[in-house]
Amino acid sequence: MTIPAHGEHYGDRRRPALARLYLAHERLAIGAGTLVGLLLAWEAFGRSGLVDPLFLPAPSQIAQAGWGLSHDADFWNDLAVSGREFILGYAAAVAVAIPLGLAVGLSRRLQYMLGPFVDTLNAVPRVTLLPLIVIWFGIGIWSKVMVVFLGAVIPILINTQAGVKTSEARFIRVARSFSASKLKVFSSIILPGTVPFIFTGLKYGAGRALLGVVVGELYASTAGLGHMIAEAGNTFQTDVVFFGVLIFMATGLVVVAFLDVFERRFERWRPDLH
Amino acid sequence: MSVTEPMARADDAAPVPAAVRFYVAHERAILGTLMVILFLVAWEGLERGWWACLLHPLLGASAERWQLKPIFISSPTLVAAAAYRMFFVTGEIWRDLAWSGMSYVLGLALAIAVGIPLGLAAGWYRRFSYAVEPLLAALNATPQVAFLPLLVIWVGTGVGTRVLIIFLLAVLPLAINAHAAVRTTDPRLIRVAASFSAGDWRLFLTIILPSTIPFLLAGLRLAIGRGMIGVVVGEIYGSAAGVGAMISQAGSRFQTDKVFVGVLTIVAIGVTLVEIMRRIERRVDVWRPPS
Repeated sequence: MTIPAHGEHYGDRRRPALARLYLAHERLAIGAGTLVGLLLAWEAFGRSGLVDPLFLPAPSQIAQAGWGLSHDADFWNDLAVSGREFILGYAAAVAVAIPLGLAVGLSRRLQYMLGPFVDTLNAVPRVTLLPLIVIWFGIGIWSKVMVVFLGAVIPILINTQAGVKTSEARFIRVARSFSASKLKVFSSIILPGTVPFIFTGLKYGAGRALLGVVVGELYASTAGLGHMIAEAGNTFQTDVVFFGVLIFMATGLVVVAFLDVFERRFERWRPDLH
Repeated sequence: MSVTEPMARADDAAPVPAAVRFYVAHERAILGTLMVILFLVAWEGLERGWWACLLHPLLGASAERWQLKPIFISSPTLVAAAAYRMFFVTGEIWRDLAWSGMSYVLGLALAIAVGIPLGLAAGWYRRFSYAVEPLLAALNATPQVAFLPLLVIWVGTGVGTRVLIIFLLAVLPLAINAHAAVRTTDPRLIRVAASFSAGDWRLFLTIILPSTIPFLLAGLRLAIGRGMIGVVVGEIYGSAAGVGAMISQAGSRFQTDKVFVGVLTIVAIGVTLVEIMRRIERRVDVWRPPS
């Protein structure tokens, strides 16, 4: 029972080296240990014969399925299709949402005009629109691009707008008293202050975009990772389903880590609050 | 330009006509309503062929493209008629709503029962947090709906799968916010209480819990939204009843008006729930110093 506060473990010199090493890397040790322990328990459980591998395949069986898939041209095609849907939809969302969010944040009237639509779309899980989108765009790649776009565009837009709104009013007043032009105020005060918000939006948006890919492909598709998972689920290839879920998990982690790195680059100027 | 012109300008010239004053006072409502009406008229016109008629002298035969079939986009009046039928004549939607509502409430309750204690424990016990953090981060980065085919294999296509997918989606924001909340508790307060030899339970009740409540509510608001995704996705993926199933079936039969009724019903429920949560949050938030 400790207070989660400042680092409490300065290696005590009287302790053996091994204990000191553990204390210095306790977080990593416990995290990795839990993960390895869980995987080993899962493997043992899977091999014990207590559970049908159709129901719960062991990690080694999942790895084997993954190895098998990596020699399968269909799998690479599914990966390419899903990737294309994600990138096209997300890129379109970024291209629309950031300029629109800045504009809506800057112009009160525009905000009043678009507010009802944005709020409505924000209140509903956009995947609800999937049946309509399939009627409009068919079951090919474009319906998924549209779902990804709709999923990602709203959080990016709302965060960008909120970022503009929270610009420090004092800074703006100072800049204007020194007769800075509107463009100057925008580029040197509003935009830098909005960047962290934009990144928050981009992160949320990436999650929603990935969700869109999965749901869109589960619902109606002819190719893609979600399609592969659904198909494998219907034919009880549980190991393949697991492998597909792992790929989605890895993608999510990589995208978030990537955005984190970018964010840190842009964020150096922010004072540390912790 | 609300940011660059923080001060209202309307009252510097002395005599302003009443109509202008009214407009300025209600600008938000007027502009918003106007845009919604414009949108609805544009939509209705597409289905009824108003725009095709208007454009016909200009474009000739190609103006026909400005009229769309009702199965493609439906129209506000058709949607309203379908809504009236489904709510008051046949009453078919009530059964779907009850069905969806049941799995939603069960899934959300399960997520609260698991997520908040888990998050609080992870925030309080450092070693426990080291153990669960990687798992939570990995699950949080995954689009959890990808687990649907697995859940179907494990618990079948019944209500269990939908409760579990709602649980999976909703539990993460709850656990993560509860975890962050304990972490941001002012350590000085805890140290003071501890120096006056307050026990763990007392510390938890009088310091941790009150200061975490805003975070828990924010987590709950996120969880409510995620849970709605779970309801819809769980039902469109394979279910016989529920609003999501209704939308999906109507979509595959090209009953576009019914799809819109379902979507709008979900919009209404979402807006209501989020608004309720906002009100609660604002009440609880009163103590927070303005930033």
